[in-house]
Amino acid sequence: MQKVTDNIFLLVLFAMLGTFILAASFIFFFLRYQRNISRQKEALQKAELDYGEQLLNATLLSQEEERKRIGRDLHDDVGASLSNLKMMMAQSEDRGDKHKPLIDNIINTVRNISHSLSPPGLDLFGLEFTLHELFDNFTAGGTIALHFENKLGTALDALDKKTTLALYRVIQELLNNTIKHAKAKNVTLQFFMEDGKPVMSYLDDGKGIPAEKIKRSGMGMQNIEARLRMIQAAFEITTEDGKGFFIKITLPPAAEKL
Amino acid sequence: MDSKFFMSVFVPYSILLPVIIGMIKLNVLPGSARIIWYYLLISGVVSILAYIIGRVMHMNNLPLIHIYTPVELILFCWFYKTVLNDPGNRLHRVLVPVFVLLCIINAIFFQSIHTYNSYTRSIEAIICMLFALNYFARLATVTNGKKTLLSPDFYFNSGIFIYFSGSFMLFVFSNFIINSSSQEYYIIWVIYAALVLCMYLLFSLAFILCKK
Repeated sequence: MQKVTDNIFLLVLFAMLGTFILAASFIFFFLRYQRNISRQKEALQKAELDYGEQLLNATLLSQEEERKRIGRDLHDDVGASLSNLKMMMAQSEDRGDKHKPLIDNIINTVRNISHSLSPPGLDLFGLEFTLHELFDNFTAGGTIALHFENKLGTALDALDKKTTLALYRVIQELLNNTIKHAKAKNVTLQFFMEDGKPVMSYLDDGKGIPAEKIKRSGMGMQNIEARLRMIQAAFEITTEDGKGFFIKITLPPAAEKL
Repeated sequence: MDSKFFMSVFVPYSILLPVIIGMIKLNVLPGSARIIWYYLLISGVVSILAYIIGRVMHMNNLPLIHIYTPVELILFCWFYKTVLNDPGNRLHRVLVPVFVLLCIINAIFFQSIHTYNSYTRSIEAIICMLFALNYFARLATVTNGKKTLLSPDFYFNSGIFIYFSGSFMLFVFSNFIINSSSQEYYIIWVIYAALVLCMYLLFSLAFILCKK
């Protein structure tokens, strides 16, 4: 049998170094594996988030289309039929005097519903004009005073269609919230430039919302958030129980070219 | 740095680094970190005793390692039980008494307390490496890499894994090489000291990362 002349010390030395290298490499590759998995997970989450946003965009757009169609049908069909009925009654023997206020009322209601579903002035006359129309409806009862200031000038009407519609809906929702829940007397809406960015601010002097309730304050706030996310606008809410409600919206990059 | 100074002064005293950091952060140390801190204290006390018995009293200090081995395993069992937080796992309850019994049988019948307990020390190293690998396996299901790098338990585990993996062969072949004075033998102990230092540094980092 061949005599073994290996040096035991060297063998132990090599074995120690070998196992150390194995252990250290194991930790290194473990961390690398975990980092890769972590990156993949982040990418997947981002893709899911993007998909969710696309889905939300599509839903909101189809909702707008549907509103537009219903609004148009109401205005063109029901509104026109009511106008015809009014004319026919005017030509009748008793001139329909008894029913005229009722019919006028129905025509107005149909027109208001139709306009709120799809504001026709938005495409034709721009945001500022349409907002004034909206304010007229809200202030008609005389319980609330609305102060509007546009320091952006004509640039406000030059916003793209998607941003304009989203802002209109957000303002509509904010005013609804103020009327329904805030018991406010004054609302101030301003458009201005801040740090080179167009900004919209909305302030009411109502009872406000406790900070912890904002997140779960129902569909209204969720709609506002969804619409602002759709146009990539940043927003900041300041509200406290009994101290009014304030929201500052920094308009999206496309609007910054103004 | 002189290798003798490295082995006999620098590395033994380096235990003070994690001990002091652990002491400063004692109030914020979670259960697992406290166990490692106790381990370091016991390890330090045993080192001092080994020095006094061996260098001052010129007596064989190997009986100490026969006591230290089961104590060390008990502490690491406790550590992994705390870290893995698995109430259904009763392995530790069986493992600890069986290993202590094994150490006693080994000291009485196989390897005298005046020789190096390579059998039980090697078994301990295998058990600890398995514990460490089990921890990594559990950690693999946590996919947040950044979180791992900030976890003190990850560094405690890495220290234990590197120390026992690197020293395993030394534990196995200790009795073959223990009485030598060759250059290679000396290098082996330098590498061993480096592994211990590596473990202490990882423990220190882990203590630094401990938060309330």
